[in-house]
Amino acid sequence: MTLTRRALLIIATSASLMGIAHADQLDDIRKKGELVVGVLGTDEPNSFIDPKTREIVGYEVDLAKAIADKLGVKLRLKQLAVAARIPELQQGHVDLLAASLTHNKEREAVIDFSLTTFVTGQKVLVKKESGIKSLSQLGGKKVVTVKGGTQEPNIRKAVSTVDVVTFDTGPLAFQALQQGKGVAFVNDEVSLLDQFAKLGPAAAQYEILPTNLSVEPLALGLRKGETKLKAQVDGTLRELEKSGAAEQLFQKWYGPQTRLKFQTRSFKIDSDQVEG
Amino acid sequence: MPLLDFSPLLHGQFLDWLLAGVRLSLLLTLFALCLALPLGTLIALARLAPFAPLRAVAWGYVEAVRNVPLLAHMLFWYFAVPELLPDGLKAWLYAGHIEAVAALAALVTYTAAYMAEDVRSGLRSVPQGQWLAARALGLRHRDAMRWIVLPQALRATVPPLISQTLNLWKNTSIATVVGAAELMYQAQRVETASFRGFETFALATATYLGVSLLITAAGVLYQRRYPARPAAR
Repeated sequence: MTLTRRALLIIATSASLMGIAHADQLDDIRKKGELVVGVLGTDEPNSFIDPKTREIVGYEVDLAKAIADKLGVKLRLKQLAVAARIPELQQGHVDLLAASLTHNKEREAVIDFSLTTFVTGQKVLVKKESGIKSLSQLGGKKVVTVKGGTQEPNIRKAVSTVDVVTFDTGPLAFQALQQGKGVAFVNDEVSLLDQFAKLGPAAAQYEILPTNLSVEPLALGLRKGETKLKAQVDGTLRELEKSGAAEQLFQKWYGPQTRLKFQTRSFKIDSDQVEG
Repeated sequence: MPLLDFSPLLHGQFLDWLLAGVRLSLLLTLFALCLALPLGTLIALARLAPFAPLRAVAWGYVEAVRNVPLLAHMLFWYFAVPELLPDGLKAWLYAGHIEAVAALAALVTYTAAYMAEDVRSGLRSVPQGQWLAARALGLRHRDAMRWIVLPQALRATVPPLISQTLNLWKNTSIATVVGAAELMYQAQRVETASFRGFETFALATATYLGVSLLITAAGVLYQRRYPARPAAR
């Protein structure tokens, strides 16, 4: 046997052994006693660092807590970059993604999704002085957004001649917009509203264009084929919906008492289907 | 482990993106090299100047730049420096490729500090006797430097400078944080669109490695063709 063939055999064997070891993720999680959940930590109010406690908190963190409690294990959060979410999940560095993840058809080819946990749209924030009132005026202009999400493909689909520059996090992209390095900032509506609110009096210089670039159903991400884990996750979400706890969580992070001031919840946690 | 499949990346849109990234990375390297080398040489000369305040300024530059990570330089040149410019110039700059311009500025200041140290070492490797002989012949400091010391020093300096060029080529990847669409940026973009992360970064790595090996080969060839000759003492 040549050295190369032997090396290949070793790789193939260890790969299949790893396959067996990870045959069931749910058992592994129970054995480890902890559920590792990938979060962004930079996207208020889904997951962000509480300035007082320095801990990561948020809507999605609370959902992850509920799932860990249901499984009877400890919750461990792992902060991820937007672009690193799916690779980290595929490589098994996290068990679950709760990272402002859009559920779409393209991604269904590589990972599985839980029930939809939030519905948002993507919108465009511009400076009023730019005089931009509609998407079509963005043609040939520089638009900033976050790297690795659905924002870039969506704005390119809407305005084919747009010049997109992406950054690692929403706040960095927003900083570039504030300095005038782009005329518009594309992001999930919730993130935009949040950043809008953070501006304080300066918010008067900005406006959000009315057109929705897309409807973005957010869901938790799971590795492909982990049906037992998915059943547990979906079961927990269904219970939260039934008991009214899901509604309370929405009110806690998005409701009228928060900066985002959503009056009502326009969705229910009841389906894991999305439209193509 | 999912099977490797490079075919979606090797044609059409994804390949175009990657090639555009390689092009910008190469351009950044080339322009930064052409600007950093003369700047670095000037700083090295300033560090050896007979005038003490000039030496102090050059020393301050080298230490201040070398002791701050390149990532911080990038963010500084992109987010902070242009904001200090007058409004008209700022607007003109922002309308163009501010991302690439800021990345280039960061790479030039950063690389120049390292190159200055290499050139300075080369100058110091020329024995003191050569200086003394030049002065004895009646050459002024400037002329002694230009005709006697620099020609000998440059030969010794080329190999470390080639190694700095190698670093410069790899450092262009940091420009992705300020949105400059170089190879790393385009690789992330292809990964997001194709979900073929392993293959994409394998291609990007192979490109970095390939160009790096070419630069190394240039260094080896130079050293073979022009070995450093120690001057007689």
